[in-house]
Parts: sequence; C-alpha cells; structure tokens
Amino acid sequence: MRLISGFIISMLFVFSVHAAPSSSMPLNTKNGVIKLSDFKGQVIYLDFWASWCIPCRKSFPWMNEIQKRYGNKGFKVIAVNLDQEADKAKAFLDKIPANFTVAYDPEGVSATAYKVKGMPSSYLIDRTGKITFSHIGFRAKEIPAMEQKIKQLLKK
Amino acid sequence: MKFGVTILFILTTFMSGCSSWGVQPWERNKLAEKKMQLEPAPLDSYLDAHIYYSKESSSGGAGVGGGGCGCN
Amino acid sequence: MQLKKSKSVRKMLAVATTTLLSGVAHSANSSGDNNWEVDSSILYYSEADRVTVIEPVVSMRKNMGDESFLNLRFVLDSLTGSSPNGAIKTGSAQTFTTPSGNSTYTTAANETPLDPSFHDTRSSINAEWGMPLNKTTRAIFGANISKEFDYQSLGVSANFSWDFNNRNTTLTAGAAINADTINPVGGVPTGLTPMSASKATTGADDSKTVTDFIIGVTQVINRTTLMQLNLNIGSDSGYMTDPYKILSVLDGGGNLRLTDPYLYEKRPDSRARQALYWKTVMGFGEDVLNLSYRYYWDDWDVSSHTVEAKYRFSLGEKQYLQPEVRYYVQDKANFYYYNLVDGAIPTYASADYRLADLKTTTLAFKYGIDLDKDSEFAVRVGKMNQTSNGDAPFEDVDATFVQLNYSMTF
Repeated sequence: MRLISGFIISMLFVFSVHAAPSSSMPLNTKNGVIKLSDFKGQVIYLDFWASWCIPCRKSFPWMNEIQKRYGNKGFKVIAVNLDQEADKAKAFLDKIPANFTVAYDPEGVSATAYKVKGMPSSYLIDRTGKITFSHIGFRAKEIPAMEQKIKQLLKK
Repeated sequence: MKFGVTILFILTTFMSGCSSWGVQPWERNKLAEKKMQLEPAPLDSYLDAHIYYSKESSSGGAGVGGGGCGCN
Repeated sequence: MQLKKSKSVRKMLAVATTTLLSGVAHSANSSGDNNWEVDSSILYYSEADRVTVIEPVVSMRKNMGDESFLNLRFVLDSLTGSSPNGAIKTGSAQTFTTPSGNSTYTTAANETPLDPSFHDTRSSINAEWGMPLNKTTRAIFGANISKEFDYQSLGVSANFSWDFNNRNTTLTAGAAINADTINPVGGVPTGLTPMSASKATTGADDSKTVTDFIIGVTQVINRTTLMQLNLNIGSDSGYMTDPYKILSVLDGGGNLRLTDPYLYEKRPDSRARQALYWKTVMGFGEDVLNLSYRYYWDDWDVSSHTVEAKYRFSLGEKQYLQPEVRYYVQDKANFYYYNLVDGAIPTYASADYRLADLKTTTLAFKYGIDLDKDSEFAVRVGKMNQTSNGDAPFEDVDATFVQLNYSMTF
C-alpha cells in the first residue's frame, strides 16, 4: 500500500516538474498583477531579460517594433525583468523605454517555472495558450526567422 | 602518473557539476560586472607578468576563462 | 660603451608574455553599447642603482556584433641602467671586457660588479581575433611580433573555450609557439670559456623556441564566486644562456684565481616546465577579492610558489582603492652557483641571481575613478623587494613602480 502511494506521489512529482508552466501564474507589473490566461486569444511573446544582459539591450528596440506592428492583430509582448536590484531595471528602462508590458520577478519564480536556460529567453505562446516555440539568446540574424514564426501564429 | 590522476580528479570534480555549485542563468548579475571578471585589468596583469618574468625564473599559469554574464 | 649589452636583460624581458598566457581575456559582457574599448597604461619601474624601465602600452579592441572581436596591443619598452654581470664582489677593483672586445669597464672594491649603463628600446605588436564557433564554443587566435635593433621574436597562439552546465563550467585549451632570434655583439661566446677581448665564439646565432600548452577549467561557484584552475606545460629549446653574464672562479684560498678568473656562463639548451595555477574571484557587497596561487616546477630544478591577493574596496559608485600583495619564493636551478671554484668546473653554470634561492615580496596600491560612464582613470604604486632565500649572499634588489592607466569605451 505504501509502495503504491509512494509511486503515485513520485509520479505526480515527475508530472508536475514536466508540466507546462501554469498560464494562471501571476506576474507583477507596475499596473497590478496579470496572468497569461488573461490574454487567451492573443499571440504572446514572453521574454525574460535583465539590465546586465547585453543582448537584452539589443532586443528592446525590436520588441518595441513588433508590438507596434502586430499589436492590432492580437499580439502582445510581455517582458519579465529578472534583476535582483529594482533600481538597475529602472535605470535601463529610463534609457531604453519599453512600449510593451513589463513584469518584475526579482526572485525568478516565473523563470524557474519556464525553465529559463539562458539570458535572454523568449517563448511564443499561441492563441490557445500553448507554448509553441522557445528561443535562447538574441542575435540580429535570427530576427527574420522569429518574425516568420510570429506571423504564422497570428494567422491562426 | 600520480600527479596526472590528481589533476584529472580535480577536473572531473569540477565537471561533474557539483550540484551545489553554479547559478541559474538569471542569477548572473554580479558575475556580469567588469570587476568580477577573472581578468578585470588585463594591462596590469601584462605589465606585472613582464616584470616578474624578467626578475624571476618562473613563468606561466594564467590564461583565458569563463565566468561573466553567460549571455547568449 | 656598448649599446648592445642591453640584450642580456632584454632577452629576459623579451618573450615574456607573448604566448597565449598574456591573457587578453574574452569577456562576453565588456562594453555594452559601445563597440570600441581602449586601454592604455604607462609603467615606470626603477630599481635602486640599477635598471629603470619606462613602458607605455595601448590595447584597442573592437567588438563586432556577432560576438567576435579584434584586439591589438602595442608596447614600447625603454630600458636604461645596469644589472649584475654575475661576478662576485671582491676586496679589490675588478676590470671586465665588453662583449665587442673593444673596451673594458671597472668595478670598485667591495662593490657588486654591474654591466654599465646602456639604453635600448623594444617595440611589440600583439593581435588577437576572437570568434564564436557555435553557441557554447569560442576560439581566440593570436599573433605577435617583437623587435629591437638586433633582436626579433615571432609567435602564434590558439585558444578554445567550451561552456557546460548552463555556462557554469568552462573548459579551455590552448597552445602557443614563439621563436626568437638574436645576434649578440661580438658573437655568441662558447660557454664556460674565459671572458676576454678575443673570446671563443660558437659562430651560431642566438635563437630559441618556446612552446606552451594550457588546459583549464573555470567554475561558477555561486552568485558572487568564480574559480579557475589551469595547468600549463611548456618546453623551451635553443640558446638560453645569457651571452654577457659570467661567473667568478676562486682558487682554493677563496681569492679570484689568477688565470682566467671569469668564465662565460652556460645553461642547458632545453627546459621542460609546468605551472599549476588556481584563482578565485569573490564579491563581498561591492568589494571584490582576487586571490591566486601558482606552483611552478621545471627540469632545471627551479620550483616556486606564488601567492597573490588583491582586495578592491569600493568607495562609492565611482571610486575604489585596491591594496595588492604578492609573495614569491623560489628554489634555485641545479646549475646556479654564486661563484665557481678552480678545479671543479661543472657542465652548466650560471651566477645569475634570478636562478638562485630567492624570495620576492611586493606591496602595491591601486586607486581608480570613473571619469564618466565610459572612461576610467587609475594609478597604481608599488614596491618590490627581492632577497636571497639561501646561502648565496647576493644583494637585495629594491624596486618601486608607478603605473598610470586610462581606459575608455566609445
């Protein structure tokens, strides 16, 4: 009996570790708490960044651009900041303003849930809330391929 | 021979990624700072190495390495 | 007075750090939005009554968008002064022949014989090209050239790095090879033959090859701690003797022997060496501790321990003060002699105190300040003392150095 319950519990553990991050996981923004499930029906570009990450600096102008270009087609950029020190994130945004939603997660809870493997990391979430694509890093030459994937999801 | 085995042991201990060692990719804020690099002042090291190479009989050891922001 | 005499010290300075070990570290996060980084430094080094060096260095690095970089470093070093010629001081004045054989110089009684004043300038260029091979592998290729009036050094190097464990572990492997050629004035003296105007020469040129291999591992320990362990294996072959250094030969009574009291030194023509190096960088709030240890050993029986510690005290956001200490202790080469004795002349011998049992202690302070968000100025001042750590009663060497640094990114 103990063996069976032990097995069930360890299976639950295994499944919970491998389960996709919950779309009802709360994210803190300056305008209150949001959840990815709030935006079901939209294509979401979820980005994890920090002020000390240089490729992150290069990704912001592009994220501003795609938010502007595809926003009216049901597309939303959510950039989760992982800075340990809030003032560093603020200094960054003062220099490179973000015209998209920025969330703050100094403890890295959401990063752990999404198993972020490198900085920056981005996840493309389709209109049904499923993670269809993940990418580590940001390089100029990877932009065309990324935009292609976004356009594909927007069509659906 | 024994020395080689010791070195291999040290290296594999590092490589087996002692699970208590290391940080998550988003925890590298301090490691990304210039003063936290293995070589924060390369010219100081170059000039020192130059002086000591001329005044002593030993050489070598330091090289390039990792650390840093680990950015992709 | 012979200008070329400088080569004895020059050779020692020469191939110093033209190998992969000169460490132009590849730092993935260097300049942010700026693509150019320029570091410049000028060193003033002076030993009491001996050598003075003035050495400006400029290093320029361009970061290309795709994580590759090109780094160029220019060095000029200008040396003046005198250094011991290897003979011991005696109760009476001594006269020595210059390398060309054209003149002589004299040392007073009870004074350590020194090669008289000379002046020479060396220039060198080092180039490094760094590039990513894939997302977790990088390579750095280097080349260098060094030139002096009658001296030349050429070298190439290659270094590879691999990241593992979410970039917490990095393995590096590298190799470098350097070749130098010198044509000493008056020719290469045959080792252990008498110093004279008509010295015996080998007719060969003065060349040597230096090869190095390095493997290392860097490990992130925690958010504020990094460690590195390197093993460096090297091999030198060729002419490694100092063509201008001599040894005094004493008779049974402890006096300079009457015939041929000075012999040119002779070192082996090969050297196999190893260095094991450990370093840690630890952050304490805004302060940083840099600590390293190196154990060196070779087949000349030279072995040494080097401990270096630097602690950077952060003084607000823009300034820092960093005390630095270095302690070095060395066991002598198996062919080092303070002087030789008549009738017992060995196969190899050198009285160059740099091969003896010795101890070097250095204390320095570095102060740095950010002039604006893209530039920094720093000054570093230190004192170095070298002393015998064994029976050889050579004099202490006391040196002071001052270094000014200016860095900027744009």
